[in-house]
Amino acid sequence: MSAPDPVEFALSPALYGLPTRDELIKLRIWDMHYHGFFNAGIRQHEENLFYVQRIGIERMLSLDIAGSASDPLGVEMKAEDKQQIRQYLEQHSDTVSGLIPIDPSQPIESCQKIEDWIRRGPCVGIKYYGGNPGGVVCSHPDNDVIIRLAAELNAVIYIHTWSKIGGQPRRSGGDNLRGESTPMDVAQLAERFPKVTLICGHSGGDWELGVRAVRRHENVFIEFSGSDPHSGQVDFTVNEIGASRLVWGGHGPSRSYSTELSKVLDADLSDAERLQIFGGNLRRIAGNIFRQKGYKL
Amino acid sequence: MPLGDTKSSTVDRRRFVQATLIPISVPITARLIHSTALGAESSQGAAPVENPPSITDTNVHLFDWPFRKLKHAQTSSLIARLQKHRIEKAWAGSFDAVLNKQLDRSNQRLSEECAKHGHGMLVPFGSVNPAWPDWEEDLRRCHEKYKMPGVRLYPAYHGYALDHPELANLLVVATQRKMIVQIALRMEDERVHHVALNIPPINLAPLSSRLKAIPQARVQLINSAGPLIGDSLGELVRDTNVAFDIAATEGNGGVGRLIAGSNPSYRGAIPSQRLLFGSHAPFFPCQSAVMKLFESPLSLEQLKQIMYGNARQFLGSNQ
Repeated sequence: MSAPDPVEFALSPALYGLPTRDELIKLRIWDMHYHGFFNAGIRQHEENLFYVQRIGIERMLSLDIAGSASDPLGVEMKAEDKQQIRQYLEQHSDTVSGLIPIDPSQPIESCQKIEDWIRRGPCVGIKYYGGNPGGVVCSHPDNDVIIRLAAELNAVIYIHTWSKIGGQPRRSGGDNLRGESTPMDVAQLAERFPKVTLICGHSGGDWELGVRAVRRHENVFIEFSGSDPHSGQVDFTVNEIGASRLVWGGHGPSRSYSTELSKVLDADLSDAERLQIFGGNLRRIAGNIFRQKGYKL
Repeated sequence: MPLGDTKSSTVDRRRFVQATLIPISVPITARLIHSTALGAESSQGAAPVENPPSITDTNVHLFDWPFRKLKHAQTSSLIARLQKHRIEKAWAGSFDAVLNKQLDRSNQRLSEECAKHGHGMLVPFGSVNPAWPDWEEDLRRCHEKYKMPGVRLYPAYHGYALDHPELANLLVVATQRKMIVQIALRMEDERVHHVALNIPPINLAPLSSRLKAIPQARVQLINSAGPLIGDSLGELVRDTNVAFDIAATEGNGGVGRLIAGSNPSYRGAIPSQRLLFGSHAPFFPCQSAVMKLFESPLSLEQLKQIMYGNARQFLGSNQ
């Protein structure tokens, strides 16, 4: 039996009220939250390209370049693995872009990594993981040097945020990991850096609270992947902050593209708003650094 | 304008003429093709199929979720959404039942709503709490008075574990009545519950031993995400007839990989014969589950099974 063709469908999605692959391609979808390279997995990424192609994703921004949740700066990563991923990003810059995890509990080392991978390397941004070994959240003043350098380079700044209910007494964010930022942390950071664009990842998970936390900060964009698809989420968010501040993420391979696409397809949006959310806004955020590096926008 | 400008509430003349030219007598399947507003797909790698199958959704709820005003809480709005995605039958529970102690009132309201506003699409699934006194009467009314083919259980919200002795009794009585029992593994991610709720995830481990003693039982797990099923999957697939839905199946190509046994969220495979379409609408957008059928490269045979065949068989075997 031959391998399936990613662009073949036994039934047309159009018969089921869904956009066709051609229509999805026309949306020029840029995925702000791609985990294909999680734990340096080039092979995992290449296997996942079947679904990327099937859905018609135009570009993926990978959040796991040369680092992991337990080792954000990639200290334990082999030099040859780092070299391999660097070459891969250089060779595939038309479809994949890299963000490097940094560690706010190690600001000097984080800045060194930024110099190495962004100023002198192929990457286009930084990522705050959902927690870090030192337990420092993004609102801590130690972050300021990281944000200043990232801003100088026009790097995309993506901050994982969640507010997990729990703890004693039970409260929003009470079950967060050490160093896992909330949207309230992003709001504090945005207050200190009103001219720097920040992406508040996952909309804080508990999105009804997350949107409230950052809505008055116009330099904060919201990405909303990595949680269940709640009908009305995107309508609510657009109503509060406008479609020009939303960025789409796919969170593959661990989340289904269907889950994440449906959040937008569910919403009452104009075509222009849908185009903004699926890629237009991200191209605006990343425009400067992409032009600096000569990457296709 | 390929996707349709859903924000616009105005209807221009061209759209109005197109809409009114669709004759009422056209069969529902043909009308649906026109109403997608997505444009006809000519090639797209999809071979033309005569009479493309409609979908039976085994996991919808009516009314409002207690913690959020839902976009499609109105039955008419939900039905329009289901029809847009070619869903012609939907097994409907009631959000009222999740936190309501007067379950019979909730079941009656559900039954009446399905009859009055269901357009023949909605099949009511009431709810029973086996941990409460005289649940047998609630079950009897669901079956005899409201003619429901099954009931939907919410153990996490109703405060009992799956090793509760009365649950075993309920499964026996429901099986004697040839009723389906759906068990909602989750309604909402525990991480984003309202602060006033403190509901742990369900432990599925006791279920397979319960069901081994009742081989004729027809049980479906809804919102059956891999992490919630955990280590119980192998036993449930091997030793019971439990069916699952796809509303909470995650991962790129999640459904296909689940069938193949390569979905990392699940500790094993679920054969396509045991998967029923379920959307968890209107809490989830029903596009999510519908699109999952296309995200994976499923064969036409697999699509037919999941879209309607398995549900029809599951329902039929209880009648």
